[in-house]
Amino acid sequence: MTVSFRTRVIVLATLTVSATVAAVVFVGWSRIVKFELTRLDERLCMELRRIDTQPGMGQDVARLQNDLMSKLRVSAPEQVMVRVESVAGRPAFQTANWSDDINLLRGLPLPSDDASALTGARPVDGSPERPPRAERPRGPNRPPGPDRPPGPGYPAVEERPPRPDGPPAFERSAEADFAPGAQPDGRSRPGQRNCQVSSFEAQGKQWRAAFTAQPRQRSLVAVDVAATQAELQNAYRSALALVIPLALLLTGLGALLLSSMTMSPVNRLRNAMKSVDQKALAQRLATGDEDREFKELIAAYNTMLERLALSFRQASRFSSDAAHELQTPLTILQGHLERALYSAGHSSDKSDLTVMLDEVGRLSAITRKLLLLSQADAGHLALHLTPVVLTAMLQGLVLDADMLTTGQEVASTIAPGLVVQADALLLTQLFNNLITNAVRYCLPHGRIEVLAQRLPGGVEVVFANSTSAISADARAQFFDRFYRGDAAHNRQVEGSGLGLSLAREIAKAHGGELSLVPSALTQVRMRLWLPDAAAQAAH
Amino acid sequence: MKILLVEDERKIADLVCEGMAGRGMEVVHCENGNTGFDAACDTSFDAIVLDIMLPGRDGLSVLKGLRTAGIKTPIILLTARNYLGDRVEGLNQGADDYLAKPFFVEELVARIHALVRRVSSERQNTVEVGALVLDRISRQATCHGQTIELTTREFTLLEYLMRSPGQVFTRSQILEHVWGYDFDPSTNIVDVCIKRIRSKMALLTDAADASPIEAVRGAGYRFRPQP
Repeated sequence: MTVSFRTRVIVLATLTVSATVAAVVFVGWSRIVKFELTRLDERLCMELRRIDTQPGMGQDVARLQNDLMSKLRVSAPEQVMVRVESVAGRPAFQTANWSDDINLLRGLPLPSDDASALTGARPVDGSPERPPRAERPRGPNRPPGPDRPPGPGYPAVEERPPRPDGPPAFERSAEADFAPGAQPDGRSRPGQRNCQVSSFEAQGKQWRAAFTAQPRQRSLVAVDVAATQAELQNAYRSALALVIPLALLLTGLGALLLSSMTMSPVNRLRNAMKSVDQKALAQRLATGDEDREFKELIAAYNTMLERLALSFRQASRFSSDAAHELQTPLTILQGHLERALYSAGHSSDKSDLTVMLDEVGRLSAITRKLLLLSQADAGHLALHLTPVVLTAMLQGLVLDADMLTTGQEVASTIAPGLVVQADALLLTQLFNNLITNAVRYCLPHGRIEVLAQRLPGGVEVVFANSTSAISADARAQFFDRFYRGDAAHNRQVEGSGLGLSLAREIAKAHGGELSLVPSALTQVRMRLWLPDAAAQAAH
Repeated sequence: MKILLVEDERKIADLVCEGMAGRGMEVVHCENGNTGFDAACDTSFDAIVLDIMLPGRDGLSVLKGLRTAGIKTPIILLTARNYLGDRVEGLNQGADDYLAKPFFVEELVARIHALVRRVSSERQNTVEVGALVLDRISRQATCHGQTIELTTREFTLLEYLMRSPGQVFTRSQILEHVWGYDFDPSTNIVDVCIKRIRSKMALLTDAADASPIEAVRGAGYRFRPQP
């Protein structure tokens, strides 16, 4: 199966763009998710502080839950989770969806009335109670010192200074430590708290939690991650629903345009090549203002054409020269035979000379035909056009057929007053060939028909004769050079086998055509079409 | 009749000269285009036979030069290579006739006669040998006032023979003259045609003129010369 170049370009471009879009969508989404997670962490910490700093919160857990819902942008109360523990890990208050298997708080120091535990209040790495994912790298995201200026987003909260060194570092694990108190110099101030974040799984959902340990209480706020991202996901999805088809459409159009641009010089080249036939081998394609690549292509094509023309000229010159070189000796031979014939005394000598003269005549006829064919091949079968009265010419031919046949029926329907612009010499040659063939191959009691009529745009002449059955294969070879029917070989019929091929060239040179018309197996019908002068000129 | 032959091939020239001299023509022969052109400027020639492939000036150039110089002597071109193109070119340049090689000297002589008759405007509309008269306009033959209906081919053949009574014409010559090139030479059409002319003439009442066409055994046919 051959695929069009254009289709291939479009398919390839679409595939490439699809892959690119998919990669961009994937990377974009994961970046957005990470960024949103950081934002979420910040919000969670903020809420956590609010809970810690406003002791009255525990009075109405349902209200707190509703409040958190709107702050954290989730749609259902069960998507947020709060637990506050007071002294010795006893729950001060918690939401209904809290489950005791969540062990995040256990790693934190127990709140107590002892205020001296305050300064060391920070999570202990590697503590056995902590989940394994609590292992976290330290380093690039080392929390900033308290001397850094507070960011615009959190002017009132000193514990959450912004990170001036750019966006949050996503290489960090799910756990982030915003604990300024963890600094080695220990310059913590009273009221300063840790805000740790972590992810965990509970009730079949992925949660994000922020938790702190205060001197007097431990608290945790968690939110359903999927729920917070639902809105974003919808927005993202609807944006993609618009962008992806648009991108593909633009890609398709772009590919179409590109392939058209690529194909247009190729098309020009193709059309130019089509117009070059054997008659116009001398013609070259103009490079014009094509692009460099196509200029090279055209130059290569022109070089090929040059070689072709050269070998064609040589072949054509060869048969032309050969025929010409034969003509001089033939003329001399014929002249001497002619002279000898007149001066010969005995009639037997005369017979011999006549036979020789006939053979020389046949040889001359063959060289003449070869010469004509080589000229036709080279594309300059020069015509001397004059008005030819076709009716008279054909009537003469019918009389010839009548004289040549014995027992065969010769029928003709020739329209009166048929005149064509033609080369009389060549047309005579064509008709002579057709009529002698018809007579030569006609069955002993067969029928020869000659029909001529004017049709719109030209004149049609049909020669038909009955014959022994001729297969389609043999018919296909009729116009081959030196082809002679089996009948010709069997019945010792004379002829060079060049006549029909030449007749066809003569018809072509007149802008017409000579063809074998489909007919019964036992009939041969030759149709000659000669267009009017206007059509010939157009040819 | 004075003829100029411009032909470089010695052997062909000899044959032509000999053939034309045998028919009472005076021939001047030039071997190349330049001398040919100079000779042709002498307007005393009745016709010029000009080969196209010549050393020096080629035939077409000589022809063009002569016509440009206003010399209107009838010219027959002998063409060989690319004879169609040369023929068209030649006729356009003002040649009066052309003959492709190889040709019969007999045919060349017949062409020269026809050409000289045509150009010298002593246009004969009738050909007469004995009592037989051919009218070239109506294409009818009459003998002692009796009309013989002839077809085009029969008329052309009879005229060809009657132009040179006593001259023998071979079948090939007749075929080429009457039917043109490329008519199957293996057919017996010449014999059939002559038989038909004879049978038409046999219907004439005067039996003495009944068969003026004689077969020459082994050679061809001739019109019986008048005593």
